[in-house]
Amino acid sequence: MGKDECKTMLDALNKVTACYRHLVIALGSTSDSQNLREELKRTRKKAQELAVANRTKLTSLLKDKSISKDDRAEYERLWVLFSSSMELLEVDMKRSLEIGQDFPIKVPTRHLIQTGMTGSTTTVAARAMSVQNMKYEADSNIDTADLRDLQSEITQMSQMMEEMEMKVQVAPWAVEAKQEAGAELKSNMSVGNSSVGVISICEEEPKEEDGGGGRDAGFASICAVLVFFVIVTVALVLGYLVINMS
Amino acid sequence: MTINTLARGGWDREQMACFQKMEKVIVAMQDPDMGMKMRNQRLLITVIPHAMTGRDMITWLIQKYCICEEEALHISGMLVRYGYVYPLKEPRSLVLRPDESPYRFQSLNLFPLWINSFPSYMPSAIYLAKKNIRKQGELMEYEKERYSVLHKRINHTWDFVVMQAREQLRASKQRRKADRIVLECQEQAYWLINRPQPGAHNVLDMGLERPNNLSARVTLVSDIITFVKYSEQYQNHDPIMQGCLPSNPWISDDTAHWTMNLQIVPIPSRLRVERWSFSFMELLNDIMGRREFMIYLEKEFSAENLCFWQACEDIRHGESSRIVEKVEEIYKNFLTPGAARWVNVDSKTMDKTLKGIRHPHRFVMDDAQMHIYFLMKKDSYPRYLKSDLYKNLLAKAIVPQETKKR
Repeated sequence: MGKDECKTMLDALNKVTACYRHLVIALGSTSDSQNLREELKRTRKKAQELAVANRTKLTSLLKDKSISKDDRAEYERLWVLFSSSMELLEVDMKRSLEIGQDFPIKVPTRHLIQTGMTGSTTTVAARAMSVQNMKYEADSNIDTADLRDLQSEITQMSQMMEEMEMKVQVAPWAVEAKQEAGAELKSNMSVGNSSVGVISICEEEPKEEDGGGGRDAGFASICAVLVFFVIVTVALVLGYLVINMS
Repeated sequence: MTINTLARGGWDREQMACFQKMEKVIVAMQDPDMGMKMRNQRLLITVIPHAMTGRDMITWLIQKYCICEEEALHISGMLVRYGYVYPLKEPRSLVLRPDESPYRFQSLNLFPLWINSFPSYMPSAIYLAKKNIRKQGELMEYEKERYSVLHKRINHTWDFVVMQAREQLRASKQRRKADRIVLECQEQAYWLINRPQPGAHNVLDMGLERPNNLSARVTLVSDIITFVKYSEQYQNHDPIMQGCLPSNPWISDDTAHWTMNLQIVPIPSRLRVERWSFSFMELLNDIMGRREFMIYLEKEFSAENLCFWQACEDIRHGESSRIVEKVEEIYKNFLTPGAARWVNVDSKTMDKTLKGIRHPHRFVMDDAQMHIYFLMKKDSYPRYLKSDLYKNLLAKAIVPQETKKR
């Protein structure tokens, strides 16, 4: 049904937007690399595809005069979600263009900022592209042709957003959110666990890192310690038996 | 560098130049040979690189730019206050401690200046939603308030906010633990600066001046024209250009000129009274002019306007400790309907002022004061200049005789 299809596509676009944001944060820092730029390019293209698909689908649904009032309200809500996603994407794309121009990768003109982030963003990009592993091509003109593409994509996107506002008559203020305040707390996702421990490190008392610090990593290390002791005990027992036997 | 033609929303040229300079300093610090000395931050199990101490920063600045310690303290303090560098211990205290306190560089994406060109509330809402999830609802009071305000304000897109917050958290789980910590600290520092706690100083506040979007050339030409006009008008009043009567005290040792031009004299000099006709501000700035104007207004039964203006000036320039009581007095005397000296302010300004009075500060009366100022300027002031009162004063005014040079 149209609604479910729309929702799936919107979820996908939402996912890509979030991942793109993560990738842009690493731009210009010491973890910036050829691979990151490629990840950005591919995530961006995926976002564009999803955006166009979403727009076409939603426009056709909203133009249909024969839908019920409830359906129409729902589509308008989805429309507002879609345009918010586009807003965020546009800002991130503009920012990545700026930084990309100021900090070229192939012929570095500036020192990269040491932000403390060292890991790669491959898994984030893989999540955005919905693939298991990312494959990279060594693109030689990542600094020039790609940035030009990015610029034209940004223009395309702004044009698309303007068209959207003109053609589709949806009053954003008339849309009511389905979620109430604090709805995110009732989620069934387990995002709470690992990150809750992590954030206490940033807060006032660094001493808290003892208690909260990396509950999942702490769990793993406790397991490792237990296994170690088990092995030592087994070794001692065996040694004792060997000595007894001889 | 990062400041180019993309929309920047109302920052003036001096502020942007200031940001450009700070960015240059930050980039210079990254030099692998001549840059800052980096250390590792050791947390319980994780080690995060790229930390530096406050003391290191000061030393580097002193060496690199050959400045004194005070200046280095000032510059590094600015870097922290504007969010180019954030503290790792006590993240809510955005000051630079010149000791072993650790700091780290902010991500380029989160450098200041950027968010103010993004006109929506969404990023702030997404951040609060993420924090809400991470802390299982344990937000600080002001954050909870902001959360509910935002929830009302952008209610139509709240579903997106929740969706995006969840997705961003899921995406961050894909990263290494160390990177996740860095990301969270970065974000927290960024929002502490861009949406500061109520009561904390907001460095990115543009202040009272309305941002001026005129192009540089137009302002330059109009400034020149204004200056030429001013010079022509005041030529005769300039003691150096025109000579002063009765004589220049520095030359003749006769202090008559000064005595005649004291703030309060029985009869003002003619030049002085003439100056009152140049601009309204000139009249108001002169104590005698103000007095004369007040006498005139009393005759016209509109003296409350000037009294109100004076009271507002008193607040603006007066002691902070007395601001609250002064505002209350003004409210009692001038703004309550049916007050003894009620001033005629338009309803929009009145509403705004009344709202502001609930949290009084030095500039709370500005809008109303400006309104009354312009009222007097357009209405009472021209009539005063044409009035008999003024003309008589002009006629009576002294034109001192030039004393013969010895």
